[in-house]
Amino acid sequence: MRTVSPACALIAGHGFLGFWLCVVCVICSGLRAQEQEVLFSASVVHTVQGPTLKPGAILVRGSRIIAVGERLEAPQARKVDLTGLHLYPGLFALNTGLGLREIDAVRATVDQREVGDFTPEVTSWVAVNPDSELLPVARAQGIAFFEPVPTGGVVAGQSGLLRLDGWGVRDMIVKAPLALHVFWPQMNLDPTPRDQSADPARWKSLVEQARERTAGLKTLEDFLRQAEAYARGRGSDWSPAPTAPGGVPVWEAMLPFVRGERPIVVHADEIRQIRAVLQWAETNRWRVILAGGRDAWREARRLAALKIPVIYEHVFTRPARDTDSYDVHYRAPEILRQAGVTVLFSTGVTDASLVKNLPYHAAQAVAHGLPAGAALRALTWEAARCHGLDNQLGSLEPGKEATFFACSGDLLDVRTRVERMWIRGREVSLENRHTRLYEKYRQRPAPQATH
Amino acid sequence: MQGIASVFVRWQVLLWAGCLTPWVGNATEIVPPGLPPERPILRALVGGRVVVRPGEVLEPGIVVVRDGWIEAVGRDLEIPIGAEVWRMDGLTIYPGFIESLYVPMRTNPFVDTRMTEPVAVGGWTAGGYQFLGAPGHGVDRGVKGPGHAVGRVLPQRRAVENLVDPEDPGWAALRELGFTAAVVAPAEGIFRGQSALVLLGRDDPNRLILRPAVFQHVAFETARGGRARQEFPSSLMGVLAVCRQTLLEALHYREERAWAQTNPAIAAHLEYNPAWEALWPLWEGTQRMVIEPGSMLMADRAIRLASEFGLTPLLVACGEEWRRPDFWRGCRAGWIVPVAFPELPRLPTEEDWEQVSLDNLRAWDWAPENPAVLRQSGCEVAFTTHGLRDRKLFRKNLKLALARGLTEEDALAALTLVPARWCGVESWLGTIERGRLANFTVVAGGSYFDPAATIRQVWIRGRVYRLSADLETGLAQVSKAPDAAARDREAEEARQADRVRRIARSPLDDVGVLRSPTALKLVNATLWTCSAAGVIPSGQMLIRDGRILAVGRSVPGDPDAEVLDAAGCHVTPGLIDAHSHTAILGAVNEATLPSTAMVRIEDVINSESLTLREQLAGGLTVCHLLHGSANPIGGQSCVIKLRVGAGPEQIRMAGAPLGIKMALGENVKQSNWGDRFTNRFPQTRMGVSAFLANRLAAAREYRRAQEEARRRGVPPPRPDLELEALAEVLEGKRRVHCHAYRQDEIVAFLDLMEAFGVRVASLEHGLEGYKVADEIAAHGAGVATFADWWAYKFEVYDAIPHAGALMHRRGVVVAFKSDSSDLARRLNMEAAKAVQFGGLSEEEALRLVTLHPAQLLGIHDRVGSLEPGKDADFVLWSHAPLDSRAVCLQTWIDGKLYFERETARKRAAMLAEERAALLAKARRLATGSKDGLDEDHEAAQAFFRVCLERLDRDRHCEDVQP
Repeated sequence: MRTVSPACALIAGHGFLGFWLCVVCVICSGLRAQEQEVLFSASVVHTVQGPTLKPGAILVRGSRIIAVGERLEAPQARKVDLTGLHLYPGLFALNTGLGLREIDAVRATVDQREVGDFTPEVTSWVAVNPDSELLPVARAQGIAFFEPVPTGGVVAGQSGLLRLDGWGVRDMIVKAPLALHVFWPQMNLDPTPRDQSADPARWKSLVEQARERTAGLKTLEDFLRQAEAYARGRGSDWSPAPTAPGGVPVWEAMLPFVRGERPIVVHADEIRQIRAVLQWAETNRWRVILAGGRDAWREARRLAALKIPVIYEHVFTRPARDTDSYDVHYRAPEILRQAGVTVLFSTGVTDASLVKNLPYHAAQAVAHGLPAGAALRALTWEAARCHGLDNQLGSLEPGKEATFFACSGDLLDVRTRVERMWIRGREVSLENRHTRLYEKYRQRPAPQATH
Repeated sequence: MQGIASVFVRWQVLLWAGCLTPWVGNATEIVPPGLPPERPILRALVGGRVVVRPGEVLEPGIVVVRDGWIEAVGRDLEIPIGAEVWRMDGLTIYPGFIESLYVPMRTNPFVDTRMTEPVAVGGWTAGGYQFLGAPGHGVDRGVKGPGHAVGRVLPQRRAVENLVDPEDPGWAALRELGFTAAVVAPAEGIFRGQSALVLLGRDDPNRLILRPAVFQHVAFETARGGRARQEFPSSLMGVLAVCRQTLLEALHYREERAWAQTNPAIAAHLEYNPAWEALWPLWEGTQRMVIEPGSMLMADRAIRLASEFGLTPLLVACGEEWRRPDFWRGCRAGWIVPVAFPELPRLPTEEDWEQVSLDNLRAWDWAPENPAVLRQSGCEVAFTTHGLRDRKLFRKNLKLALARGLTEEDALAALTLVPARWCGVESWLGTIERGRLANFTVVAGGSYFDPAATIRQVWIRGRVYRLSADLETGLAQVSKAPDAAARDREAEEARQADRVRRIARSPLDDVGVLRSPTALKLVNATLWTCSAAGVIPSGQMLIRDGRILAVGRSVPGDPDAEVLDAAGCHVTPGLIDAHSHTAILGAVNEATLPSTAMVRIEDVINSESLTLREQLAGGLTVCHLLHGSANPIGGQSCVIKLRVGAGPEQIRMAGAPLGIKMALGENVKQSNWGDRFTNRFPQTRMGVSAFLANRLAAAREYRRAQEEARRRGVPPPRPDLELEALAEVLEGKRRVHCHAYRQDEIVAFLDLMEAFGVRVASLEHGLEGYKVADEIAAHGAGVATFADWWAYKFEVYDAIPHAGALMHRRGVVVAFKSDSSDLARRLNMEAAKAVQFGGLSEEEALRLVTLHPAQLLGIHDRVGSLEPGKDADFVLWSHAPLDSRAVCLQTWIDGKLYFERETARKRAAMLAEERAALLAKARRLATGSKDGLDEDHEAAQAFFRVCLERLDRDRHCEDVQP
C-alpha cells in the first residue's frame, strides 16, 4: 500500500502529465483487485462539498475514497466503527513556519529567513526537517497538509505543500513549488521624532522615508518586469531548468509565476500596502493571493472584484487603530466573506509550534458571525482550490484522497479531541512529544517522602 | 548745573534707599573716565498704562524708580525733581515677567516618560549602583569624589556655580519675550540639582542672583541609549525607585547627623554624603522640589511620591494633563506649564493620513486648552518657554491658550505673581508696587497677549533694555495692496477661529461605568458558580452595593433591585489573569541589576491603556501585573481590577496581598541576550540559586540590624527598599511568584525557599511543573501556566498542553494565564484546552481562570467564584463559557456594568466619526497654512510623539530586555 501512494503524490505534483499518470495508477491499482477496501462509519461525516451526513459512511480503497453515503454496503470491506465521532477531511495549514523552525530562541534550529531582497530560487521544502517534533503535534490536531514558507527579503522564495506523513521530504511533497512568496515593502512611515528615536544618527525625515518607500516599490516592479522579459525570451514551452546551460537560477525560478501558472502569495497587512497590492494586481495577469491581510476587510469589495483570496493571519491580532472596535479582527473574515472574498486562515507565517490551534482561529471568526460551514471550507476545500488541488484534496468525495480524521465533536470547538487519523488511506499515529511526556509523567509514582 | 543737581539727587537717593531697604547701599560709584557713565539713579515712567498686578490697572500711571527699586506708584504723583522722565504714552507697563524654568542648553529637550520603551541595547552589566553582585563591578558613579551611588543623582549640583551667564544668547531671547528674571536650572539626571533665580540683565553675574538655590529639580528621566542604558536605573519604574530611595536616605542621614551631634564619638563613623545633605532644605522649607514627570500619569505619580515625604512639589506639565482633569482637582501642587503644542505635519502623500490616529489628532486639538484645564481644576499655573522648538512661538501659542479659556489675569499671574511667590520673592517681584524691584515689561500696541503688540523694553532693576522692536529705524515696510492684505487677514482669522474651536472629545467620554444599580437581581441565567454549588441552570443572583448577597435557584427579592433577565445566557465569575504585563507604563523590566526588588509596578500602572478595554471585553475583571524576567528578583507586583476609566490608584485592587516577582532559568542568566552578556552574575542555574540565597540572607541581616538598633535606641541602618521588600518575603507578608520552567530549577527553588521558611505562592509558567507535581503540591505552591505555549526556547521544549490537568489531578492549584495582552482577551478559550488535553470537566477547567488564579493571588475570599459575600464581578456569555461560540456580552465589576457589547461597538463608531471630523480640520489647517513647517523639519514628527499612555505593546515574559 505504501508503494503506490507516494508515487501518486509525486506525479500529482506535476499537473497535466500527472493527471494522466494518476489515471494509469488508478487503473493499475484497480487491476490489483485484491486491494483491501475499508468502510468507515461515523456518527457525522462532514463531506464539506456535499451534505453533512448523520450518520455517514466512507468506503476507501487503497489511498482513495470510492464512495460516500449515509449507509454504504460493502460486505468485503474491513469495517472501522467510528460511532460517536465526526469525520472531517484533513486540514490545510497554509502559510506556516512548520518544518523550518524548531525552537525559536535557538538559532541553529531555525531555517526560515534568508538574506537578500530577491531570492526566488530559495525553496522551502528542501529544508523541512521531517523529524521535527513540531510536525506530529500539528498532525494530532487533524492537520494533514502544511505549507512551509520562506520569509526573508521582498521576493523571499517558493513554498511547497507537504503532507504530514512520510519517511522523508520526497514522500511528503504534495506539490512543489506551490507558490512564490512576496513580502510587500513596508509603506508605514516611521514618525518617531528624532529625540525619541533609537538611533538619532540614522533618523530620517518623513519625506526622505517616502522617497525610499517609492524606490522600494520601483525595485520590485523592475524585478518583475525583468522576470517577464526573461520568460518571453525562453518561450512558453520551456520548463524551468536552472541547471541547463544559459539558465539563470533567479529568472528560471520566476518562470511558473510570471507565466501565471502558479500563484504569487503577497504578504501585506497595512491598508496602504493592500491598496498598493490591489493597484498592482489590476495591472497584471498573475494569480495573486493575499496573506496576512490585517486591514483587508477595508478593501473587501476590490479584493472580491479581483478574485484575490485572503489568507487571514490576524483573527487574534489586537485592533490596529484606536477607532477600531475591540472585535474588529474577530469579525474581519465575515466582512470579507460577505463581500465575496475567499477567506482562508493561518496562525501566522512564522508560527510553527502552535499551528495546532488553526481551527480555533476560524472558530473565533465563527463566534463573531462567520458561518461554520464557511470556516470549515476555508480549512479544507478552499485551501486546496487556491492551489488547484481541489480535484484530489479538501473534501470527502469519491475519487479523492482518503485523508481524514475522526474527532469527538465539532472541529471548531476547543473541547473537541481528535481521536484517529488516516492519510492516504493509512492510519497514522497521533502520538507526539506531548503525549509521550504526558504518558510518562502521568505514570510517575508519588515520590517517597524522604525529607 | 546738572552735575550739582545730580550729586544732590544722589544723596537723596541714598537716604531714600536707606529707608526702603534694610541695608546701606553702595557708596556712590565714580566710574573712571572713558567707561559708560553711571545711569541716572532716579527715573519716572510717565503717561503709560501701568498694570500693577493682574486685574489692577492705572491708566495713565506714574512709576518712580530709584536706584533700581520702585519708590512710588500712582495716578497723580509728583515727579521728583531731578528724575529722568520716560514718556510711556501708548505703552503698557507690566510687572517684569519671570521665566519659571530655564535650562541653559543649546536645545532644551523635554523629559519624556511617555515613550520610555527600549531603544537600544548595549552590553548590560551591573554598573552604577552600589551593588557588588556582579564580579568585577564596584561602585562607579561616573564622577569623582563623594556623592550618591547612582550616577544620575546629583542634588548637590548648583546652577549658580556654572550656569549663570549673562552672555547666554538664551537670555537675550528671553528678554525679547519680556522676561526679566528666570529660574536657571541644571539639566540632565534624575536629581538634577538646585536652580538659581537670576535677573536676566547683562551685568556682573554676582549682582544678578536673587536666590542662589531656589528649587531642587527632579526629573523622571530614563536612560537614553548608550552606556547609560546599562546602568541602574534604566526603566521608568527604576527611576521612581531611585527617587524614593534617595529621599529616604536623605531623611535618614539627617536623623543620623542630628543624633551624632549629641554623640560626637559616633560622628567619625558616619559617611559624608553631599547628595543626601543637599536635599535637607526640602524639609526645612527653604527649597521646593520641581519635578518634571514627563507624562500625565507620572505627574499624578509625582504628586503621590512627594506626599509620601510630606512634600508638595511644583510640576513641569507635559502638555497632556487635559486627559485627566479629575486627577488635578484639589491638588496643591503648582504647575510650570510649557506652551509647546503639537504642530501639524506635512505628510508625503494623502494616504499617509492613515497613520494619524485619533489620539494624535485629539492631542493636537486639545493641547492649547491644557493651561486652561489645569487652571480650571483649581491649580496654580506659571508659564515657561521650556520645551518650545522656537521661543518665538511663545506668544502665538499663549494667545491660543487664552482663546481656549484661560483668562488674561491668570495668564499674567502665571508670568509674574505665581512664580514670584513660588520662589519666595513676592516682596521683590511680581507686582508694580513701592518697594519692589524695578522690573518691567513694556509693550506697545495693546495687551502683551495680543501677538500684534510689540514688546519694546524690559526694565531690569531699573536698567532699560531696548528690544529690537524699540530699535527699528522706521523704514517703510514693503506692504501688499490693502485689499490683498485684508483678504489675507480675513483668511488668517478664519483659520485661527477654526483652530480655536475644539472638536475633539475627552478620552474620558468613552470609558467608565455604564450602569451602577444599587441592587441587581439576575434571573434566568445558567450560573457557573465555581463554588461548591456547581452549575445552577436557570439560577438567580442578588447583588447589593457591589457585593453578592445570594446565589441559587431562587433568591429573596429586594425592593430596590433592578432585574437583569439573562435568559439563554451563561454567567461566570469575572475571569482572572494571574500573570500579565499589560498596562505598564515604560519598560517591564529594570533589567540592569540582578535584584531589583525595590521597583514597583504600582508606580507605573497605565490605567489609560486601551488594551484593558479589550481584555474587559473578553470577560476579564482582575489581572496580576508582573515584571518581566530579566533578573532573578524583578520587583513588586500589583493586582488590578479592570475598572477602566479609573485612575492608577482606583484601578488597584485595594487590600490584595503584596507580591514579588522572581525568576529562574534562561532569561535571568541572559542565555538569549546575545554573546556579549556574559559577565553579570548569575550565568548558570547554579548561580541563580546562590544569588537568591545571598539576597534573602542579606534581607534577614538587614532586619536583624534594624531590630538591634531599635533595641539599643540608636538610629536604624540606612533604609534599603530592595532588602525591605525581601524582608517582607521572609516575614510572609509578601507573596512570591516565581517564573520557572525546568523541573530541576523548580525543585531547587522550592528547597531554597523552604530553607528560609518561605512558602512560594505560585510558580509562573512552571511548564515542567507536571514532572514534579507532587513536590509542588507538597510544598503548597500553585502554578500559573500557559495552556499550550511551547518550543519558543530550549527550556520549554518539554512543555505539554496536558500539564494543567495533570498537575491539577496531583493536587496543585493550577491557573491558566495569558502573559499576553491578546490571550488575556480569551482566557475562557484557554481554559477549554484543559478539557481537550487531560480531560478536565468543564467546571474544573473554568476554575483555572477564575477561582484558582484568585487563590494564587490570595484574593479568593473576595473574587473567583459566585458566592455570597464576594465582589459582584461577573460575566454574561452567549453560550457556555468554554464553548468556542461563546461571546462575552457584558462584564460587571463590583456590581457595576463596565462592558456591554453593543455599547462598545457604538462607541467605536463614534470614535471613527470623531476622527473623521478632526482629520478634516487638520487637513484644512495643514493645507492653508503659511507658517507651516518645512517638509523636512523635525518638528513635523513631533506631532507623532508617542504618548506612552496610549501605547499598547504586546509584551510578555520573553521581553527580557526592557
